[in-house]
Amino acid sequence: MKANREWIIKGIALAVWAGVLVSSGIAFAQHRQYKEAVVLGAGVVDVRTLGDYFEPLKGTTNDCNIYILDSGVPGGTLLIMGAVHAEEPATNLAAQLIVENASATTGRIIVAIHENRSGSTVTRPGDAYPQFFTIETDWGEKKFRMGDRWANPLDSWPDPETYVHYPSGQLLAYMDVRNMNRTWPGRPNGSLAERTSYAFMRLIEEEGVDLTIDLHEAELEYPIIGTIVAHQGALDVAAMVSMMLTAQEFTIGMEISPLALHGLSHREIGDFSDSPCILLEAPEPFLDRVRGVTDEALLLTGQDEFVMKAGEHGLLYWPIDENGWPIDIRVARHVRTIEKITELWTRFHPDEAMVVAGFPTYNEMVELGVGHFFHDPSTVSQDRVAFE
Amino acid sequence: MYAHAGIVLGVMAGVFALARLFKITTELSMLAAAIGGAIAHGGLISPRHIADGAFTYFDVTLIFITATFFMNLLKHAGGVDYIIRGIINRFHRHRLLCLLFLTLVMLVPGALTGSGSVTVLVVGTLVGTVLTYMGISKDRVAAIIFLCAAMSAAAPPINLWAMMAAAGSNMPYVGFFLPLGVISVLGALFSMFFLGWKGTPVQLDKVMAELPEPAQGMAGWKVLLPFVVFFGLVLAGRIWPWTMPTLGLPLMFMIAAAVTVAVSPKRLPIFTVARETVQGLLPLIGVMVVVGILVQIMALSGARGLISLGVVTLPLPVIFAALWLILPFSEGLVQYAAAPLLGVPLILLFNMKGINPIIALAGMAVMFPIGDMLPPTTVVGRATTMAVGFKGSYYRGFVKRCLIPAAFILLLGTLYIIFGNELSFLVAG
Repeated sequence: MKANREWIIKGIALAVWAGVLVSSGIAFAQHRQYKEAVVLGAGVVDVRTLGDYFEPLKGTTNDCNIYILDSGVPGGTLLIMGAVHAEEPATNLAAQLIVENASATTGRIIVAIHENRSGSTVTRPGDAYPQFFTIETDWGEKKFRMGDRWANPLDSWPDPETYVHYPSGQLLAYMDVRNMNRTWPGRPNGSLAERTSYAFMRLIEEEGVDLTIDLHEAELEYPIIGTIVAHQGALDVAAMVSMMLTAQEFTIGMEISPLALHGLSHREIGDFSDSPCILLEAPEPFLDRVRGVTDEALLLTGQDEFVMKAGEHGLLYWPIDENGWPIDIRVARHVRTIEKITELWTRFHPDEAMVVAGFPTYNEMVELGVGHFFHDPSTVSQDRVAFE
Repeated sequence: MYAHAGIVLGVMAGVFALARLFKITTELSMLAAAIGGAIAHGGLISPRHIADGAFTYFDVTLIFITATFFMNLLKHAGGVDYIIRGIINRFHRHRLLCLLFLTLVMLVPGALTGSGSVTVLVVGTLVGTVLTYMGISKDRVAAIIFLCAAMSAAAPPINLWAMMAAAGSNMPYVGFFLPLGVISVLGALFSMFFLGWKGTPVQLDKVMAELPEPAQGMAGWKVLLPFVVFFGLVLAGRIWPWTMPTLGLPLMFMIAAAVTVAVSPKRLPIFTVARETVQGLLPLIGVMVVVGILVQIMALSGARGLISLGVVTLPLPVIFAALWLILPFSEGLVQYAAAPLLGVPLILLFNMKGINPIIALAGMAVMFPIGDMLPPTTVVGRATTMAVGFKGSYYRGFVKRCLIPAAFILLLGTLYIIFGNELSFLVAG
């Protein structure tokens, strides 16, 4: 009798677990396979993939789309990289907004919306991230994948005992072998993130990129926030952008890329190519460890009582009030800063001019919402729609 | 938000207490608490949160299982018997050296696996026998075995509390070797010598008669070779990082296990050892899996944020004064779950206050395992008393005997936190 009861309990437990696993498996697969539609703006003249620049990456998860916005007028080439860390959604939204709306009138803009696409196919175990988030547009809701800081272990596993950065030899955390902002300049036979970095370096070389912008968001408990981090090759531009935006539009700091910290885009891209790199950080309360309920609302509004309380105790590096840091403002900061960088780059480097058009203004993005600038893929010819 | 998170936390605590009252195991009680918390958060949640959470410490669990499998194979091969008999034979006239080497033997299994239970199971009984024949009373023997096992779990390279807390705070588990090594070795040596220095000379004949005979053909090199291979693989990954294939620690332990099988003087029952390893570890694996689920639900509902906020807004002097009590008792209550729940916000706080987070976490990570003798779980403590055959009162005999060395270890841990910056020279790869 007792043995029967034990087997019944075991059977029920097994059935419940099987149900959880099947249901979760379906949810994970749907997340991994979901494709975000991107409507190609008038400025987009070509869509390539990263594998075009490094054949071994072709067909892998990280063979991401590369959007070319070419004015046809000789000038500089700007590379914009979004979602290096796929848990920082303002970065891919900003990149996509540019692809859908902007054009170059002098020089070229090259955009990668999901630089480390593998990271966008997984969320972080133990952190309860939503798998998707939706943005209100004029034509309905637009759905996006939420991701993680690191590449998906399904694409890159196991991690080494310690990650030794190439080529500096600096010891880094084992999981950072999957963190694309620790694997620059990359190597052709390394981990997925190292190979992806290597492919981007080939892109920079082959396309003659003059300036690279790497988009990020950060928790308010992190000291590098609301700022521009610049390689020494772009210090003049970064300093002027920081001063002008802070004086006229919104506060944004400026920091010099540390010489001794390796693997970071703002250090290695400039050191190993002709393109200096500028990294932009926007505030994302969703990433704070003291945050309250972890949900899509927090991701999009950036409003959190617990984070505010931590601020009252002087534990944050960036201010927050009851208005939080909404996604519209975070995207607007990135888009506007990029536009300002192109203006000042052109002023400092007239022979590598990057003149852009079609960027919404900061106020338009904040007042109308970023969704207003995403176009309905069902109303355009399908050859003008790409998928991320 | 405060009320919501507070209610979720209250429901979790209530369900956990109720489940424990009904004698349900710690891991199932925590699972019940997680499900209760999820329902309090908002009814049905997506089951993928359960699966997601269960995989939080997947890599750590794999390391834990493979390392224990390796140690168990070594034990079955007679390697542990060989080493302990060798130490007694060689050093029985020198009490100091004898205790010193027995301490080192005690440290190895837990250092490699991160588990005090494994130390007790692999070497506890054998070392306990030797200590008994050195004229040390049973309560002291039990205390020595437990405290050394606790320090072995804290010792590098694998410290599960530090690994879990580091993972939760986006902090690399790098630079911990010396900070953890110094404090855990000091704690183990103090415990061994404080409790074991007084006694009688070793009764060599009796010890040798009682210790199991190692298998015919066992030799020192056969015991050492698997360790040499393991550490060789670790070193090779650092010396030739860009040519050496990435193996990962679990595979390295499995290769060391294969070497153990290859050089063993007797045929090893590999599948039996594997089955026994998993059966023995099941409660701890269960805890690690369930802790991940619990943490996921707490993050989802804001309960984790509430705890974090509560901790990081406490004044530092209060934290310094209370951690030596809070950490062991939280370990006694929820075992490894204490590390992500309390360790992570504390690390954030220390980091914000400019205290070296690696040293501070190392200090905390030696305080947690002391709680493995405390109620309600008492897992390692009970295992120890059984392993050494201690029949006296658990609390008035065994726990009381542990108190002074435990206080010494907790003091060391507290000093590590307070003087984190001054000790930052210890931080190295």
